[in-house]
Amino acid sequence: MATTVAAPPRYAVPHTKYERGLWSWLATVDHKKIGQLYLYTALAFFLIGGLEALIIRQQLKGPNGTLVSAETYNQLFTMHGTTMIFLVIMPMGAAFFNYLIPLQIGARDVAFPRLNAFSYWVFLLGALFMNAGWLFGAAPDGGWFGYAPLTTRQFSPGLNIDFWLIGLQILGLSSLAAGFNFVTTIINLRAPGMHFMRMPIFTWMSFVTQFLLILAFPIITVAVTFLMLDRFFGTNFYTITAGADPLLWQHLFWLFGHPEVYILILPAFGLVSEVLPVFSRKPLFGYPVMVYSGILIGFLGFGVWAHHMFAVGMGPIADSVFGVTTMLIAIPTGVKIFNWLATMHGGSLRFTTPMLFAVGLIALFTIGGISGIMHSSPPADLQQTDTYFIVAHFHYVLFGGSMMGIFAGTYFFFPKITGRLMDERLGKIHFWLTFVGMNLTFFPMHFAGLNGMPRRIYQYQANQGWDLENLVSTWGAYILTLATLVFVWNFVKSRRSGAVAGRDPWGGATVEWSIPSPPPEYNYAVIPTITSRYPLWDAKSPELTADVPHTPEGEKRTDVSVGGKETHASFKGPSDTRMASEVAHPSAHELGIAMPTATIKPLLASIGLTVMFIGLILKNNANYQSLWLPIILSGVAFFVVSLYAWLLSPLEPEHH
Amino acid sequence: MTAIPHTTGHHYTTTGLDHRKIAIWAFIGSECLFFGSLISTYLIYKGRSVVGPFPHEAWTNPATGETFPPILDIPVTSASTFVLLMSSLFMVLAHASVVRGDRKYSKIWLAATALAGATFLGFQAFEFTSFVHEGLTPRTNLFGSSFFILTGFHGAHVTAGVIWLITLLFIDFKRGLRPADAINVDLCALYWHFVDVVWIAIFTLIYLIQ
Amino acid sequence: MTSHYRTRRLAIAALTAVIVVGLAACSTTVPNTTLEPKTEFGRAIDDLWDTLLFWGTIVFILVETFLIYVVIRYRRREGQPAPRHVHGNTTLEIAWTLAPAVILAIIAVPTVKTIFVTQADAPQGSLTVEVIGHQWWWEFRYPQYGVVTANELYLPVGRTANFVLKTQDVLHSFWVPQLGGKRDLITNQTNYLWFTPESTYVWNGVCVEYCGTSHANMRFKTFVVPPDQFEAWTTHQKAGPVFMAAPATTAPAAGAPATQETQPAPQASAPPVQPQTAGSLPTFPAERLPVYAASYNPVPRNLSIGDVTGDPARGAQLYRTAPCIACHVVQGVSAGIVGPNLTHFGSRTSLGAGLFPNDARHVALWIKDSPAMKPGSKMPPFGKSPAMPAGYDDQQLADLAAYLLSLK
Repeated sequence: MATTVAAPPRYAVPHTKYERGLWSWLATVDHKKIGQLYLYTALAFFLIGGLEALIIRQQLKGPNGTLVSAETYNQLFTMHGTTMIFLVIMPMGAAFFNYLIPLQIGARDVAFPRLNAFSYWVFLLGALFMNAGWLFGAAPDGGWFGYAPLTTRQFSPGLNIDFWLIGLQILGLSSLAAGFNFVTTIINLRAPGMHFMRMPIFTWMSFVTQFLLILAFPIITVAVTFLMLDRFFGTNFYTITAGADPLLWQHLFWLFGHPEVYILILPAFGLVSEVLPVFSRKPLFGYPVMVYSGILIGFLGFGVWAHHMFAVGMGPIADSVFGVTTMLIAIPTGVKIFNWLATMHGGSLRFTTPMLFAVGLIALFTIGGISGIMHSSPPADLQQTDTYFIVAHFHYVLFGGSMMGIFAGTYFFFPKITGRLMDERLGKIHFWLTFVGMNLTFFPMHFAGLNGMPRRIYQYQANQGWDLENLVSTWGAYILTLATLVFVWNFVKSRRSGAVAGRDPWGGATVEWSIPSPPPEYNYAVIPTITSRYPLWDAKSPELTADVPHTPEGEKRTDVSVGGKETHASFKGPSDTRMASEVAHPSAHELGIAMPTATIKPLLASIGLTVMFIGLILKNNANYQSLWLPIILSGVAFFVVSLYAWLLSPLEPEHH
Repeated sequence: MTAIPHTTGHHYTTTGLDHRKIAIWAFIGSECLFFGSLISTYLIYKGRSVVGPFPHEAWTNPATGETFPPILDIPVTSASTFVLLMSSLFMVLAHASVVRGDRKYSKIWLAATALAGATFLGFQAFEFTSFVHEGLTPRTNLFGSSFFILTGFHGAHVTAGVIWLITLLFIDFKRGLRPADAINVDLCALYWHFVDVVWIAIFTLIYLIQ
Repeated sequence: MTSHYRTRRLAIAALTAVIVVGLAACSTTVPNTTLEPKTEFGRAIDDLWDTLLFWGTIVFILVETFLIYVVIRYRRREGQPAPRHVHGNTTLEIAWTLAPAVILAIIAVPTVKTIFVTQADAPQGSLTVEVIGHQWWWEFRYPQYGVVTANELYLPVGRTANFVLKTQDVLHSFWVPQLGGKRDLITNQTNYLWFTPESTYVWNGVCVEYCGTSHANMRFKTFVVPPDQFEAWTTHQKAGPVFMAAPATTAPAAGAPATQETQPAPQASAPPVQPQTAGSLPTFPAERLPVYAASYNPVPRNLSIGDVTGDPARGAQLYRTAPCIACHVVQGVSAGIVGPNLTHFGSRTSLGAGLFPNDARHVALWIKDSPAMKPGSKMPPFGKSPAMPAGYDDQQLADLAAYLLSLK
């Protein structure tokens, strides 16, 4: 096995303005930098969405709360939902896709690095666009589901819905572009030997998620396009006087909206499935079943959308069909939970912070899953839908599931991303505050709902039997606020001065733990050859994976080489605790690895796209009657020119 | 076993296919859902319009007594459909010419494809204009909204395709498309055939089935 | 080992919290509970809920117990041998795929049965009630009796009520938690829902589909009354207004601070089940409303009116030419159809779709500035203000209020 590459002689690396400072971020096409951009942006929006939630809870602390007006409250709950779904959990997923997928499959970057940058910039501008409504006192107020005809111009004449609609459209384009990119990356950039059934389980769940993205987002794109045309150009898709069917919006929205739920949860499942085996010192129990159940969830996810609509009067047959398909989806989900438990069973469990969050996900998602079954039964749902019971349910799924998984992933991969460990003591405080605060906030909502409290109300009267539940929920929200502050402090502090992690602080099994932390620009000096699901355990502690199926070449061990100097023989496990920056590794240039050139063009293209939409939102404003079309056209022109400049310039510097 | 062949990272792909080839298939899969939603909307709204004109039936405005004939002109659209179908054939020939390295015919067939696409767009512009003259706009009724948006989005896709073809033609004239560039034509061809297939679905479901 | 104890402490703390909240939820009055159904529809749902809760609890206990066991039993200890390397077990995995499937089948069968039973056509001879949603109030029509009213629904006990659900504008959803599940009001579509109230009482109803600014303020009351009282009520509603002229004062109720509304003290015992008729009126008397059904939203601080006594006769005169008539019906007087029918306004217990007590002060304030009292209200302000110098002064407002309240 030739495992080393003779390092070419060093020579001066040409410096460009894109190497340092702000430019290095604006022009980056490096998946690791883009992943971090997603991470920081999503964290910022997590704080904003959390603040919105805190105001909501303060308003509902007691009967007839007067902290905010009805109009503001409606904007708050709309933006809380929209923010947490589209600007926090999805981009958190994107952060991990970006950072981890190329590392986990042994690639140097994604398939389309510049498209990747474009996805991020479009996302950022869309997110800012969506939130710009606050500056004009016209934040979206139609709910995150935006049901027509309330959102048509007739009933919502203001800019509020325009911001939401156009923001959503922009975000959708970003998700679609990212989806095509990652589907291609995972299919086409797996290292030699990385068969599908050897892929790390996070990559697998992400793979399923990408298919959900590219198949679900076109549907919401169409629904939103209809509403946009209705609002700006007077078409009739949702015009009630023209005989439109408001259920058209609901069907299109939930055809997207239910797969969206799995877009939010599957990456978290993937992260937890990475964390549990490492801290149990056991391979994932039933890897193939975990993969198949993920795929099955993805498929069934497209067949259950109308369970959001049991109260609209679809008739007994449709209700029965969708009720039963919804119950079916519980089976693969349950299998996942049992397999996680079996992974831990008989293991040697180390309760680090990531492990605590992973176990927290199992404990809390189970509750969300069970309450989900309770409203998969359409008649029972008629008493639960649009009450706080549902609010409790999906917060157990999205906070107890997605967010717990994301926190587990953040603590777990933070050392890989920054080279430093997060503080374990603060991490544990964060976990326990989150765990207690989360249950205190959301568990009483089950009771509020069963006691008849509707959702989306800015005030309620006393003596309805809801006072105590709401008070407890609000105190829970205070605890969650505290937990979040601890997390932010830990994040900031550890990034600056956390303990140096080295390449493999946890004893990981997958190939990304073989390279320095943070990884060099090119990730792998030599693309590794993968011989099993747990290549690093094969090298470090073969006894852990003796049982796991290997291929005929199973006796071979992964070649791990960084900077053309090291092989697995010299691979240093947990004891190698140097910052990557302290270890001299050669640059891509010195190794003769062609990496994509940094370029600002994707950013320019995304600006052109946004300008287009800014022109649209000005259309109905009397002051801009003559300007909106020129603005749109200049946006289009700018976009097209940037796009051509991007497409016609080579990805990598010409070499040799 | 040697790791050397893989050090030139970007040339290596797991499947041996070009990244773009996989991406365009993912894109086409996504587009199926896009047009599927548009076509479904048209079908759901079929017959739900409160006022005319209608696609296949005549309509008299009860308020004004004005009479509107059935709006769809099937012979004209059949002609434009034929042109679009022929363009797919030209596309195949263009791709084959590039693979062969036939610089002359690659230009001819690329131009023919683009021209056929443009002709189809001309038909569509004519159709839209005459519908507007006959009193059907996207604002008129549910039929108008769903018809214009569905066919309009298809037209936009054809337009994008024509621009793509012209870009290829431009490159062909400037530096010549070599057999190594066949992938670029191949991607455009996949897109073009897809847009064609969508039109066949639209033509059948919207024009032919009453 | 410290985190070992932490786990235990946490488990105990969490359990205590659950129990405390659970007990609290049971011990306070829960007037809008979904778990004590008062109709056959509600009971069908509740039976299903019991099944769901039973199996849900079993799964919950099994999973969480096993999780806690694993977490405690398998935590890493010093000198522990390396774990056994199990990467899967086909038999086990098939078992825990089948087990949930069996449980789901147990749930699915009664579910489908209940769907078909509850969505069958309403029985013959049902009372038809048309429910029409408006932003943000309820219109109730009884086509069999020619009665039109708003925000207060009367149902005879023991007779199936078949609701025909429509909306005038956006989507709404009709829900009386104690009487059964909800059903949406969909634009350009008619939905149906039926149930048979089994006992006389007053129940709160709400809109549960987000419908815009005052979604939270779209409430109604359901009075389930004996059949003879229902007949009397329909006769009364169908007839023109009974004009019961009596001066009405806009002064706040005695002893109440001007800015804060009086809130009825919670009653220890349940209010009388049988609503008493006040005088000759078959409607439910406001003073006998159970505490949870009383309306006492606070009036915004910056909205006030002087203590004046309104004269209903002057108010009646004023009403004939007031802008009110463009939107409201008072049988024999005005014919507007945009707002709620006011023919028997004075006999209702609450104002603004269940927000305020229906007294002279609140009615006068409502006419003065309805959007201030109910965000987004489609009724413009009519009181005199710098922006509207031609608006009504306090005396005129009080007169109008006195007139409307006299319409029994």
